[in-house]
Amino acid sequence: MIAVSDLTHEFDGTVALDSVSLSVDDGEFLLVAGPNGSGKTTLVRQFNGLLSPTDGEVRVNGVPPEEDLVAARTAVGMVFQRPEDSFVAATIAADVAFGPENLGLSHDEIDRRVATALDAVNLAGRGDERIDALSGGEKARVAVAGALAMEPDHLILDEPFSGLDEPARRSLLSHLASLSADGTGIVVVTHDLRGLIDRCDRVIALADGSIALDAPPEAARAELPALNVHVPTSEPPNDEPHAR
Amino acid sequence: MIGYVPGSTVAHRLDPRAKLAVQVAFAAAAFAYTTPRGLAVLSVLALAVTRLASLSLASVARSFRVFFPFLVAAPLVATVQISPPAIDPEAAVYPALSSYRVLLVVAVSAAYVRTTTVRESRAAIQRTVPGRPGVFLGVGVSLVFRFLPLIRREITAVREASAARLGTERPLIDRIERVAVAGATRTLRRADRLSTALSARCFAWNPTLPRLSLTRMDVPALALAGALLAATLFRAV
Amino acid sequence: MATNTESVDLVGDEAATNLARAALFAALVGAFAYVSFPNPLSAGVPITLQVLGVFLAGIMLGPVWGSLSMVLYLAAGAVGAPVFSGGTAGLSYLIASPTLGFLWSYPFAAAVIGLVAHRGTSLSDVDAVPTPVLVGAMVVGTAIIYGFGTVGFAVIQYDPWYASLWQAFVVSSLAFVPVEAVKIAAAVGIVKNDAIAAA
Repeated sequence: MIAVSDLTHEFDGTVALDSVSLSVDDGEFLLVAGPNGSGKTTLVRQFNGLLSPTDGEVRVNGVPPEEDLVAARTAVGMVFQRPEDSFVAATIAADVAFGPENLGLSHDEIDRRVATALDAVNLAGRGDERIDALSGGEKARVAVAGALAMEPDHLILDEPFSGLDEPARRSLLSHLASLSADGTGIVVVTHDLRGLIDRCDRVIALADGSIALDAPPEAARAELPALNVHVPTSEPPNDEPHAR
Repeated sequence: MIGYVPGSTVAHRLDPRAKLAVQVAFAAAAFAYTTPRGLAVLSVLALAVTRLASLSLASVARSFRVFFPFLVAAPLVATVQISPPAIDPEAAVYPALSSYRVLLVVAVSAAYVRTTTVRESRAAIQRTVPGRPGVFLGVGVSLVFRFLPLIRREITAVREASAARLGTERPLIDRIERVAVAGATRTLRRADRLSTALSARCFAWNPTLPRLSLTRMDVPALALAGALLAATLFRAV
Repeated sequence: MATNTESVDLVGDEAATNLARAALFAALVGAFAYVSFPNPLSAGVPITLQVLGVFLAGIMLGPVWGSLSMVLYLAAGAVGAPVFSGGTAGLSYLIASPTLGFLWSYPFAAAVIGLVAHRGTSLSDVDAVPTPVLVGAMVVGTAIIYGFGTVGFAVIQYDPWYASLWQAFVVSSLAFVPVEAVKIAAAVGIVKNDAIAAA
């Protein structure tokens, strides 16, 4: 569980987040919406201690991230906006193993985690392939696997769909849905709500560094347009899991 | 260009450390025995090594072609004497043998490059160099392999884009600047995104070292390295 | 699964940033080896940007990380990343090739260029470094690269090596030294470029 209270964050005197309070339950599928520059990325980077609050407090499972960075970063996995620049190895399995290796786990445990994580994103058996040769959607899934191999309670994805074509976006969505069904908490930071607003448990919208909306999806639909967030018309959930 | 090719040759199955030892010992022996007979014996050995890696000598020679002018010029220039001005053909013998020697060592190390994955090399580095320097080298090398193709593509794109806008008409310094500024700024921005991602994945100084273990198969390779080193020492004494 | 979080010795943010920059700059120098421009002075000798990369590593990453970046470049090339001239790779280029002196000079050249440009081991604002200092740093760097390169060439190719230094210089360096002036001029422009200052 992630608990944020009265969080303020300033960059060089500019207020990016202003007294934000919020909690994310284990297993919750949360959508963080809002226009560019509203503070979405700054907010989620507090969850695993990549940024520290200027004022206020963050607690992950009861402990502030800066007191135990390893605990925060294993509890909160993160997938970044340009997965291309977040890989450390040239091949899939070598990259996914990076996190577990850093935790000092045994080789057997690392192998098990890599296999499980690749399986969860439909890349089982492709561990030796070169990341460079993959499509954008496949790269996004490798990045998700890299975060999953830490066995996080919450998986945070920052604009995961930017640059993906429609089939890749749907495929990633269906994987997120099944991870959510299996109990992993999902937090998606995005301005593109297609296919998400029907799947999530709750929507938060940020405006100018403050929470402007915190509501279940049905209620959020009505209010989001006023906050400059485009709400797509309802679309049927994609029923082809693991489409490539 | 010689690069890793998946396979199941003998050379693929050897421990990378054994292969590195053979390369170093082979080079040492080649320097100790830069004579027609010595290099003849080592040629047979180099040929055997490339065979074990199913690597063709032609592809080795092709990969090395940018160095040929130097290898040919070195013995030729050696024949020129300034005072008194003269040509001394005999002076070309040792430089010519040296040029040939390089080819042999390049062939042996090409066998390593062709049969060893980045992951194995990283394991060899981190199991040989302890502590933080080992992590720095191992992860750093892995990152170079990962990002080289990306950065190359990016630079090619920048050059094509500027050529398309009549960029080839501009002065040379200007064109070099454009490519380098684009390359360096994008590389630094990538590096900053990468370092955030590294931190998020608990980048640590004391990770589990990659799996690697010498097997019975490595015994002949290590014995060969030992024999070559012994021969080198014998020559030196 | 519970992980013993106390036993994990995390790499600090600053070190992670420096390592990432060093590794990616090493890849950049490798990519520069593939970039060639026609040489206005000598048509047969194309200009590649590798050495420019060494200059920039020293100036932009500073003496310590610039030098470590070049160490990564050499290590990656030795185990098979195609980063050496002409897209070559392999330990042989560091231990047996006549051009090995050039490669081994890179960490030293980057360190010295960084030391001169930043007047010490800590990174200062490169934008504020006077042009003559930058040029001087790169001239010294160039001397190191060709000095190491020439001696290395003589040691590998000739016996006794010290009797053949001029031959080594003629074969390995003579045709390349003049165009280094072009790269030094380009490097000054690059360092003073606004886009670099913002990165």
